Amino acid sequence: MTRQSSFQRRRHPVDPGGAGAPPLVLDPAAVERLRQLDPDGSRGFLAQVLRTYELSLLKHLASLAEARASADARRAGEIAHTLKSSSASVGAMRFSQSCAELERLAKAGDTPAMVSLALDLEQQGANVLTVVRAMLRA
Amino acid sequence: MSPPPFAAQDPTHQPRVLLVDDDEVNLLLTTVALRDRGFLITEATSGERALELVLDWMPDMVVLDAQMPGLDGFDTCRRLRAMAGFEQVPVLMLTGLDDDASIARAYQAGATDFFVKSTHWSLLTERLNFLLRNSRTRIELERSKARLARAQDLARMGSFDWRRSEPGLAMQPEGLRVFGLPAMELVSIRRLLRMVRNDDRGAFLEVLRDQLRTSSVLALDINIEQYEHHERVIHLEAEPEFNEQGHCIGYTGIVQDVTDRVAAEDRIRHLANFDTLTGLPNRHQLIMRAERALEQARRMGHQFAMLLIDLDRFKVVNDTLGHSSGDELLRQVAQRLRACVRHTDQVMEGALEAVGARSHRALEAVGRLGGDEFVALLPEVVGELDAQRVAARVLEVMRTPIVVGGQECFVTASVGVAVFPRDGDSVVDLLRNADVAMYSVKDAGRNAAAIYSPTLAGTARDKLELETALHKAMERGELVLHYQPQVDVVAGRMVGTEALMRWRREGKLVPPNEFIPLAEETGLIVPMSEWLLVEAARQARIWRQRFGFDQSISVNLPSQMFSRSDLVDKIHDAVNGQGIPHSMIRLEITERSVMKEDQNVNPTLYRLNQIGVEISIDDFGTGYSSLSYLSHMPIAELKIDRVFVRDLGITPHSTAIVQAILALAKALGMRVVAEGVEMLRQMEVLQRLGCTVMQGYMFCRPVPPDELEQWLQAAQLPRSEAWTGLSPGGVITR
Repeated sequence: MTRQSSFQRRRHPVDPGGAGAPPLVLDPAAVERLRQLDPDGSRGFLAQVLRTYELSLLKHLASLAEARASADARRAGEIAHTLKSSSASVGAMRFSQSCAELERLAKAGDTPAMVSLALDLEQQGANVLTVVRAMLRA
Repeated sequence: MSPPPFAAQDPTHQPRVLLVDDDEVNLLLTTVALRDRGFLITEATSGERALELVLDWMPDMVVLDAQMPGLDGFDTCRRLRAMAGFEQVPVLMLTGLDDDASIARAYQAGATDFFVKSTHWSLLTERLNFLLRNSRTRIELERSKARLARAQDLARMGSFDWRRSEPGLAMQPEGLRVFGLPAMELVSIRRLLRMVRNDDRGAFLEVLRDQLRTSSVLALDINIEQYEHHERVIHLEAEPEFNEQGHCIGYTGIVQDVTDRVAAEDRIRHLANFDTLTGLPNRHQLIMRAERALEQARRMGHQFAMLLIDLDRFKVVNDTLGHSSGDELLRQVAQRLRACVRHTDQVMEGALEAVGARSHRALEAVGRLGGDEFVALLPEVVGELDAQRVAARVLEVMRTPIVVGGQECFVTASVGVAVFPRDGDSVVDLLRNADVAMYSVKDAGRNAAAIYSPTLAGTARDKLELETALHKAMERGELVLHYQPQVDVVAGRMVGTEALMRWRREGKLVPPNEFIPLAEETGLIVPMSEWLLVEAARQARIWRQRFGFDQSISVNLPSQMFSRSDLVDKIHDAVNGQGIPHSMIRLEITERSVMKEDQNVNPTLYRLNQIGVEISIDDFGTGYSSLSYLSHMPIAELKIDRVFVRDLGITPHSTAIVQAILALAKALGMRVVAEGVEMLRQMEVLQRLGCTVMQGYMFCRPVPPDELEQWLQAAQLPRSEAWTGLSPGGVITR
């Protein structure tokens, strides 16, 4: 009984509706995979991952803004590559796909398209950050 | 740095993984996932950091993110590989899903494998385990390869491969070291062949070609010269390899430096084949050579000879100068004997065929059979003269004295020669016959050589048989005494009798001259004489009881008996045992014996004389007569030898001698008995000269005791009237 209720409680923050954010910013399946790395939650692992992601996201969004401002396509591509995989890891799939697109544009050397996508990406990233923070607070 | 020695082998050991990823989220996730699956994770967020970590630490594997800012995965991998000890550490490169270019680059950079980044941790785990297993297996292989190399190195051994299609031999460094060559990929056959000793090369090539043609297994020893005068023996062993069609495509095998083993084997062979004292071939080797020589002689139809050389009285040298001097003497003799033949030291073991028709010449040698016995083997002689020449040389080289222990020794030898095929058709026969010939030399006085002849063998064989039988004769009671009466022809009666030993062997009587000398030679004469004394005393007692016999029985004793201190006791025992007076036993002794053993014999004779035992000198006139000993010794009787009696009435000399003996005896107060009287003529002359006591066939041959009793019955005396008639009242009295 106790075990079951605790499970329900911890599931709650994943519910996007509960955080008031746009639906499905984080893929529940991905979050569940993360949870399984620490099945009984004793190590607070999920929180640790989210916190790491939060910091990484903050840092990289700032770097991305700089790279965009200076039209540094190579740097922007590297940042997008890193964000792509870490975001996929925590289940921010749409965001991860956008990162992949930015990476592609950067690699292709299409700086104007890259700059415009980067702006969009910064906005998406802020949203993901909000959801993650909400999950961490919960 | 070398691969971790034991950790990787231990299944309970937690694999140490260096995980390098710039994406901290991914790093964290992967770390946690892998830790949960038993890996020991060390994290690095950049290639630079990873390279720092491995400066003083060694992971079991490295997982590298391919794309990283700064030093990316490819460069990091390349640098890792360049570090000592990291040549073989498994490196797994994490790449993007659709990144074919990265995969290719990963391999180029030296990565062991790649893995597409994903969150499927169990797949990653499996990949890591697979890589670790591979790595472990590889480490094991490397280690056993290293162990093999080390073992081969210790065993001075190395392996090689040869393919018909390739120009040279592929050889591991260990193999090349065997030849003293530096490490190289392929070594040319020409180069190896040049190392084979010049005089072996032709034969070696021939064998090699032969074996290759038949695709046989190779196993041979080759003498090589690594550099000047540095010879090694290399053992080569190789098996042919075949393709699917069954054609020999090459050989795989080993080479090994067996120089030390061959040297040890040589030493063993030498010990087994040569006498350690003299360095000459020993018995084993000699017989081996003789067998070969015989085989060859038989095949080629020539003669060969064996000389048996035995040192004369070597025992004396050994006993007087000591064994070490004896050994020294043998060594010097060996040196001299060696010089008498074309001595070869080569060990003979294998067949001769390979070495050519005259190779039996190499068998010629002098060897030591044992003790002071040597054998000269002459593998080819034209005739016995050849062998005799060598025998003469042997005797000649012994003539110079040998100095041992500061003393000059004169050593002579007796040499017996046997020649194949005449003197035997086996080595054993030849040796035995050489031995027979050698003993004939010893018998004839030593220091000479004799060629074997069947007569010698007959004598020797008979002698041996006789000796054995004589030993048994005593136990079996085959010895008997016959008695020959001594007759006083004037008084017409028996005055005494001589006991003569006879041997009744398998129903036949063996003549005394056939066994007495042998008994003397072997020392058997002593127990035989003791028996004779007892038996004679017993007979005297019997006769005394039966017909009042009161005369003496003369017994012949050899000189050995007189030199024994217990002779007097023996006689005492013999007569006392029968309860007869000492005077009934009279001792006959040759004058030669008396003279030879003068010092010991003299007191014995006196003591015997004192107790009433008379001494008679047998065969008088034939030995070293010395008038002084006759006058000093207690001699009661002289027996004139049959030689003088034989010629009586024919030559005046005999008469003169007998006359002289009679005069001498008369002057010294001795009685005289004439032996071997067979004819009336002799009896008449003797009687005319004043000798009346006689013994011989004319009166009676030696007969068993009961026959003597019968003879004593006058009626049965053969031709009694012939001599009894000459004397009045000629009746034999009892």
